[in-house]
Amino acid sequence: MAVFADLDLRAGSDLKALRGLVENAAHLGYSVVAINHVVEFKEKKQEIEKPVAVSELFTTLPMVQGKSRPIKVLTRLTIIVSDPSHCNVLVACTHLDVDLVCITVTEKLPFYFKRPPINVAVDRGVCFELVYSPAIKDSTMRRYTISNALNLMQVCKGKNVIISSAAERPLEIRGPYDVANLGLLFGLSESDAKAAVSTNCRAALLHGETRKTAFGIISTVKKPRPSEADEDSLPACKKAKCEG
Amino acid sequence: MRKMWSALDKMPAPATTYERIVYRNPSEHHYMKVCLEFEDHGVGLNVAQFKQLLISALKDLFGEVAAALPLDVLTYEEKTLSAILRICSSGLVKLWSSLTLLGSYKGKKCAFRVIQVSPFLLALSGNSRELVLD
Repeated sequence: MAVFADLDLRAGSDLKALRGLVENAAHLGYSVVAINHVVEFKEKKQEIEKPVAVSELFTTLPMVQGKSRPIKVLTRLTIIVSDPSHCNVLVACTHLDVDLVCITVTEKLPFYFKRPPINVAVDRGVCFELVYSPAIKDSTMRRYTISNALNLMQVCKGKNVIISSAAERPLEIRGPYDVANLGLLFGLSESDAKAAVSTNCRAALLHGETRKTAFGIISTVKKPRPSEADEDSLPACKKAKCEG
Repeated sequence: MRKMWSALDKMPAPATTYERIVYRNPSEHHYMKVCLEFEDHGVGLNVAQFKQLLISALKDLFGEVAAALPLDVLTYEEKTLSAILRICSSGLVKLWSSLTLLGSYKGKKCAFRVIQVSPFLLALSGNSRELVLD
């Protein structure tokens, strides 16, 4: 069985809070987490902030509860595109080189999901992401989350869905089995709900890694030169978030 | 009369009948071991306030009908804010998801950590996740 993963931890400016967040995730049983940097898409060229280097966050990574291995921390970039002329969900599903499409929960989705682009996305390996921490904070958000999730399930039938917390504080993460139970609320079947926290997350990560390879078979590895200083480069997966 | 008795002797013994009973879920209750975690320490609840919190969490998410589910707090420890709950099996998903989505109590941020769930109460006595490996 694939390990549990939470692919969305919001990176604030406070490193200490982030450290507490990752420790809490390890204590709850997540083996893989990804620190998410959210960027608005602007027309002009913009500076994307440097992702947090894991080595400066932790000297020793905390151990996952129940396993003897330390937690694996990755970084991730999310781009918000709100201009409908520029890019909409149909385009993102079919053409853009992304791994995940986040479904926004802050408002009722103004468009309906159509089956053909969703099927194309599922074939390509693109996953749809639902976040649950707004549902913890506010009751209106709860309604939007559940209604958007049910909408999505009607069309995609529960395939390629992942659920993650957009947690900024340690108290906003929930354990992996709790999140799998939330999947039942969102309309997934029991096996799909558990896969949403484990198997589909692993599939999304592997999809990100294969973008560097040729057809997922051959990959090039940079040989570390002994004279240069070691630079930890983490696999940064690119994901797009679309509205409208 | 004698004729009847002899006829009975000649009849073959009736085949023993078997009845097969299948229990899909033999237990009608599910037991949950939960712990309530607050952001700042020093918040105390007594058992009545704890049960009120559970009922209000169910009511917020699922309404009056779910709040009327037969829910029992079997044990409660005020120091660690941990409890063992019992709910009928049909209401397990509702209770579990309303505990997951509970965010705050009286304005203070909190989180429910579900430690164990089992249809058998005896299973809650041991937790392999809390074993300390030397």
